[in-house]
Amino acid sequence: MDTYMSLTLNGNNPENSIKKAEAFIKKLDRLLSAHDKSSEIFKLNNSGRKSLSPDSLSVLKSALKYYRLTDGAFNPAMLPVTTLWGFPDKKYRVPDSSEVLKALKLAKPEEIKINGSTVKLGVIDMKLDLGGIAKGYASQKTIELLKKEKVDSALINLGGNIQTLGKKPDGSLWTVAVENPNKNSSYLGQLKISDKAVITSGGYERYFKKNGKTYHHIIDPENGYPAVSGLKSVTIISDNGIQADALSTALFVMGREKAVEFWKTSKSGFDFILYTDNGKLLISEGIENSFYSDLDYEVINE
Amino acid sequence: MNKRDFIAIGAVLILSAIGFLFFAFQPKGGASVKISINSDVQGTYPLNENRTINIKTDGGFNTVVIKDGSVFIKDADCPDKYCVKQGKINSGSIICLPHRMTVEITDQQQPDAVAR
Repeated sequence: MDTYMSLTLNGNNPENSIKKAEAFIKKLDRLLSAHDKSSEIFKLNNSGRKSLSPDSLSVLKSALKYYRLTDGAFNPAMLPVTTLWGFPDKKYRVPDSSEVLKALKLAKPEEIKINGSTVKLGVIDMKLDLGGIAKGYASQKTIELLKKEKVDSALINLGGNIQTLGKKPDGSLWTVAVENPNKNSSYLGQLKISDKAVITSGGYERYFKKNGKTYHHIIDPENGYPAVSGLKSVTIISDNGIQADALSTALFVMGREKAVEFWKTSKSGFDFILYTDNGKLLISEGIENSFYSDLDYEVINE
Repeated sequence: MNKRDFIAIGAVLILSAIGFLFFAFQPKGGASVKISINSDVQGTYPLNENRTINIKTDGGFNTVVIKDGSVFIKDADCPDKYCVKQGKINSGSIICLPHRMTVEITDQQQPDAVAR
């Protein structure tokens, strides 16, 4: 996953549980990487058709579910477009609009056919990148694994994607801060939580500059360009890490109004923290009593 | 010194060694440094991470340094420079009246993790 991971847990046999969790996360990483030549996803991308192991298949099915739910704002087939911009290999460039249009035609997840464990990419040169959901899937499934291990308290941090199990060993709630995209400043706020995933997406995490313009890594599947949505970052708080990961990207692409509308209509049990380009902080009502901030914020009600 | 004393001293040494280890592995407190201008919070920073923060206001500038668990104003262009003269603090606050700036050490908790 090209990132760091940290795992804190409390259980009957913590060392053994940590080892199992670590092995599981590394296994997922090997299966799902779009860049590792030996991964299942790399092979599927190369041949257009492949039988997948249960975990890879499950991640892909989740990705397709959120593609449909978000009306395409979350798209797991954007690799040809992000490659044009140079994000996967950090060889950044600004592509021609004709190139972008061509690559965008390949980003059609609705053309993926699944028959049993066999997956067929229905457009020639279509390529999947499950990076927008892989970490959330990994933390969610690791939490489920730890529950089976009778672990009652854990915090998983996969490169800044946070998921917690239970409360802290001393019985208090976990404190998860949300990074302020204006780096030199303090946090946007802190959440007091238990049994929740907290996942943030923002253009500030990865970007490059060319001729005085900034191009960030969250590409709008609608037009193939870095999403200009008026948002600096989106944080999703959910019982489910997969949902939190997929929706943090999707709501960032949607922008403030669509994101709030999506939250109101979906009623699927998540909360959000939106931070806008002009420095406004909006939170959904479900976290009103667990969010603390020195900044002013507006609470959005259903 | 008889044998019993020797054992007692040994036990104290071991205890203090354990105490030291315990202390050494404790995260260095949960205190934060809060910087405000006209009581508007500009930022909150962990006291146990070294950094320099340049605060610019209409009145002028203050260079706030967090180093090794203390805070001080390294430089400022206020007329009295009381804030600089106050030196290092590890509790309480430094106030620069001309710039209406307050640097305050609070015991606000450090988070268990940062989502980014």
